[in-house]
Amino acid sequence: MAQVELKQVRKTYPNGAEAIFGVDMQIDDGELIVFVGPSGCGKSTLLRMVAGLESVTSGDILIGDRVINDVSPSERDVAMVFQNYALYPHMSVRGNMSYGLKNRKMDKAEIERRITDAAKMLKIDKFLDRQPNQLSGGQRQRVAMGRAIVRNPQVFLFDEPLSNLDAKLRVQMRIEIKKLQRRMNVTSIYVTHDQTEAMTLADRLAVINEGRVEQMGAPMELYSNPRTLFVASFIGSPAINLIPAKFDGTSLIAGDMALAGFSDLPTDKDLVLGVRPDVLTVSDEGQFSINVDLVEQHGGENLIYGSLPSMVSDAGDVQEICLKASQSLLPGLDEKMTLAFNPEDAFVFEKDTGARLK
Amino acid sequence: MRLNPNQKLARSAWLDHVILILGSTFLMLPIFLMIVSSTHTSSVISQQGLQFWPGTQAGANYAQVARLEAGFTDQITALAMLKNSLVIAVSIASLTTVLSMMAAYAIVFFKFSVAGFLFWLTMLTLLLPLESRFVTTFQVAATLGLVNTFGGMVLPALAIALGTLFFRQLFLSFPNEYLEAAKLDGAGPVRFFWDFIVPLAWRRGGAIFVVSFMIGWNQYLWPLMLSTDESRYTVLRGIRLIGLESASGMALGVLTILPPLILVILFQRYFFQALVDTKDSF
Repeated sequence: MAQVELKQVRKTYPNGAEAIFGVDMQIDDGELIVFVGPSGCGKSTLLRMVAGLESVTSGDILIGDRVINDVSPSERDVAMVFQNYALYPHMSVRGNMSYGLKNRKMDKAEIERRITDAAKMLKIDKFLDRQPNQLSGGQRQRVAMGRAIVRNPQVFLFDEPLSNLDAKLRVQMRIEIKKLQRRMNVTSIYVTHDQTEAMTLADRLAVINEGRVEQMGAPMELYSNPRTLFVASFIGSPAINLIPAKFDGTSLIAGDMALAGFSDLPTDKDLVLGVRPDVLTVSDEGQFSINVDLVEQHGGENLIYGSLPSMVSDAGDVQEICLKASQSLLPGLDEKMTLAFNPEDAFVFEKDTGARLK
Repeated sequence: MRLNPNQKLARSAWLDHVILILGSTFLMLPIFLMIVSSTHTSSVISQQGLQFWPGTQAGANYAQVARLEAGFTDQITALAMLKNSLVIAVSIASLTTVLSMMAAYAIVFFKFSVAGFLFWLTMLTLLLPLESRFVTTFQVAATLGLVNTFGGMVLPALAIALGTLFFRQLFLSFPNEYLEAAKLDGAGPVRFFWDFIVPLAWRRGGAIFVVSFMIGWNQYLWPLMLSTDESRYTVLRGIRLIGLESASGMALGVLTILPPLILVILFQRYFFQALVDTKDSF
């Protein structure tokens, strides 16, 4: 059990490429933190720096109160679950789980006890003598987890552990990982590019973009109070509607729409209006109307995609709008719908910097 | 009339078999002639040439080979020559396999800056066969006091770059995560070599063992240069000594192909797997 602290952590590769630009972070004991961001944003690099698989260019990484920058990976007391599981192909499941413990010269009876416990917990006790290539994807995933659990580490590190599983299994394992982490109460860092996984797993999540932490906080806090345009667009499914706009002193102008209810915004800058699909409502006295292009029926809800007729870019691209509606609302194609939203529920960002203004 | 696809397939398979049978007959013919001829008397062979039908002298010829004492001082026997060849070939095969495995391990897994350069330097030796550097190699061997020793016959032949190339390609196909997971599990470089590289590569290594055994077994010129002491004669040199046109020379020739043949039969599964199977289970 330990807390993890990152202080001004930077990573520059020998060829001069910069991957991480000064990350500060405090992870509490027993907390499950998710690093989320698009591919190439540096989230895996940051995790691998904590694991000791990448060197730290400057700054400090602490586990407990020990600076571990120069501690070898095996002595950091962390265990990692890899994306492709990295199970040792020539060792049985038992061999995979015991390998790290044997290297630590642990007592045989203790190794056996830990393997039995972990195998029971993960329901892999029937496969202990099988080779990895005799297991299904889900079972391999469990063995990879088991290999981490028997180490009884201070910190668990997960590097996109579910991305090789099919959709159904992914949801199932996601729930199990969450339960397991709750039960064992081990500080964990989990890397994913999947925002649903991030939202559902995290105690807190860190949205990482181009080597920087854009925002860190509880999932719902990031959803309802994003600090930047990037966070707003990355968190939430379906994605937030982003509409280019200008402020004329009294209302927000987007295409031929003038939206009231906004104030204290700069008039000389390009702005972006952000409206979540679930705060849009159908209303006869709506603020704007869309032409319906597509309706996706998800069972409990419908996602209605339409375009704003007044906003067509020079390249001919239409401004898409998505609306989350109940299953009973089923408009026909090209039907015109009038929509409304409460300005309180909308965000306004500065286009160039991405900073949130409202 | 058009043939249906099955008939086409059947016809081409039939043709394939004919080609293969003709080819292997052609390749096996010299060996067959050698075996058959070894059952005739020396006078039949020297007067009528190679024989196509088995004779009656097999027992006598092979018994003669077993009793054979050759050389200027009659010190060397066929058995001793076979043993010499075996010592040399097994040493070359096992040392080459281990060394090239270790060299490839270093080149692939230790990211030192001159690794690429060293690899290509190793590959360069492919362009310089042992024969092209005999004179200088002999001087080095003589200076080191390796004349008339097994060490002298083995060491210069160890630089078989093919093995390093082979293992390098194999190791490059290993996912990097094995190394990383092993690091987190507390395995250092030596332990990773023994616990991962050796068990994952030894089957494939069988192919390199066979190839370098052949190279060692078939060495002729280098042992000839290096060994003046008859007790160090190899079996290939023995054939030359006895003369192939004699019955006992034929019989010794037959005995000479047996060890490599047995080895290939034992290792053929790994051998073909290594050469044919490009897709891996890693």
